[in-house]
Amino acid sequence: MAETRTFQLSMSPHVVSALRTRRVMFDVVIALLPALAGAVWLFGLAGALLPVVLSVVTAVTVEYLCLRLMKRPVNAALDGSAVVTGLLLAYNVPPGVPWWLPVLGSGFAIVVAKQAFGGLGHNLVNPALLGRAFLVASFPVLMTSGWSAPFDWSHPGGSGFETHGIPASELASVPGADAISGATPLRVMKDSFGDEDLRRSAAVERALASGGTYLNLFLGRRGGCIGETSVLLLLAGAAYLVVRKVLELRIPLSYLGSVALFGWAFGGPSLLHGDPLFSVLTGGAVLGGFFMATDMVTTPVTPRGRIIFGIGAGILTVVIRRFGGYPEGCSYSILIMNLATPLIDRFTHPRVLGEVRRNA
Amino acid sequence: MTLWRTLTNGFYTENPIFRISLGMCPFLALSTSVQNAIGMGAAATFVLVWSNAAISALRNVIPDKIRIPCYIVFIATFVSLVDMVMAAYAPPLHKALGIYIPLIVVNCIILGRAEAFANKNTVAASLMDGIGMGIGFTLAMALMATIRELLGNGTWYGVNILGRDFANQPVLIAILPPGAFILMGFVLGGFAIIDRRKGRAA
Repeated sequence: MAETRTFQLSMSPHVVSALRTRRVMFDVVIALLPALAGAVWLFGLAGALLPVVLSVVTAVTVEYLCLRLMKRPVNAALDGSAVVTGLLLAYNVPPGVPWWLPVLGSGFAIVVAKQAFGGLGHNLVNPALLGRAFLVASFPVLMTSGWSAPFDWSHPGGSGFETHGIPASELASVPGADAISGATPLRVMKDSFGDEDLRRSAAVERALASGGTYLNLFLGRRGGCIGETSVLLLLAGAAYLVVRKVLELRIPLSYLGSVALFGWAFGGPSLLHGDPLFSVLTGGAVLGGFFMATDMVTTPVTPRGRIIFGIGAGILTVVIRRFGGYPEGCSYSILIMNLATPLIDRFTHPRVLGEVRRNA
Repeated sequence: MTLWRTLTNGFYTENPIFRISLGMCPFLALSTSVQNAIGMGAAATFVLVWSNAAISALRNVIPDKIRIPCYIVFIATFVSLVDMVMAAYAPPLHKALGIYIPLIVVNCIILGRAEAFANKNTVAASLMDGIGMGIGFTLAMALMATIRELLGNGTWYGVNILGRDFANQPVLIAILPPGAFILMGFVLGGFAIIDRRKGRAA
């Protein structure tokens, strides 16, 4: 039968492009490396590099085992998507966690979020984010407290952070202290909202006072997950992706724009008193917006759909930060919008050329 | 079908949970600990056995058009009995199972067996079917609860199995609702693999 065929029939799209899974994935890996270097600088080899390496190795190994078990081509384990999942999962855990935490999260991300649904291209939600959600639900204490403060190289022997009014540089001089833990800026803000007396005081200022200035937030000198703190280095990676035409800016810009807008409108102690810059620079907004809300598999394909996706995730992020139980809602907002993606794609489906608009 | 086959039917071949996927609500909600699972299994089995018997005995009397309300009256009667007996003699279990005891009334397994089996079979066969299905349900609950309690609490029937280090930092999600769905998927997948190995259609 096959020999007698004169036409080759295939599904659209018929556009051939140089974009290949492996190329895209390794471009993303390259783009994520500056943030890793920054994380090692801030949190140390054991605090940042070890979880990342363990997570990546686990992701690739587990992917290989899954494919082997399901008798699928095992080469797919080396297409780089597992490396990206492992990297992103590790970027989403706090520095200095026990070694088994990233291993478990990474394994869960590959087995449950990706391979159980049929592998790359079939997963409903971003595997790394589901892995993080799994870790937060399973180990809430490890995942949301005991943040180590970044090491401040300008003050040898300590961090420039203040914890509970005591300069961290003094705490660091305590014999036997390996690392200093402190709250993340968002946690400080959340606690301020929870406190009735402080409700009217400027929560952001308190958070800024504990986490340093906007510049510190931009450079990443704050408490936070391994890969989310340094906005500068994340942006550098994102710029590389834009140059390589791998990253399309509709989702990140609409996401960060709506985080800023709604953070300003609703994120503050009273209406229209939020801090847009603070909203964007803290938490996982930049990491999420550029590297996780842009996953090709789990986000809309239409241009309009991408903007809806970004705005929706931005609103949800602010809602969770301000009114939810967790200080940061970036990962959950993207997961929720991942689930809405098929619906968004369906309603933003572009009109086929020549198709007559109904009810026109 | 012999009475013995009718009894064992519910254990594996037509296990209400893993084969015909009925009674998912109490199954997912109460498999958080082995104790809850067995309590729920026993309560549901009691109701199932006696409602099956009563409905089978009266199957020629119950008018066809209003049979479902009639079944519900029987089932609700036995559920009320279980509810009161449990409240009197096992108050901690009664408290742990909470709303799920009254909800046995709408347990699909019980109504399903009334409609699919007791309605057209003898009292003896219906009794056997009720016992078999009840045991099948209880075994399924116990299996799932074993997995969930071990992972999510490090214990089995309240006894620490996996050591104190694990119990201090268990995989909490296993006893949370999402864990129930995820583990259910894996268990069903496991049964599908067993079926395929046996060469039967899944």
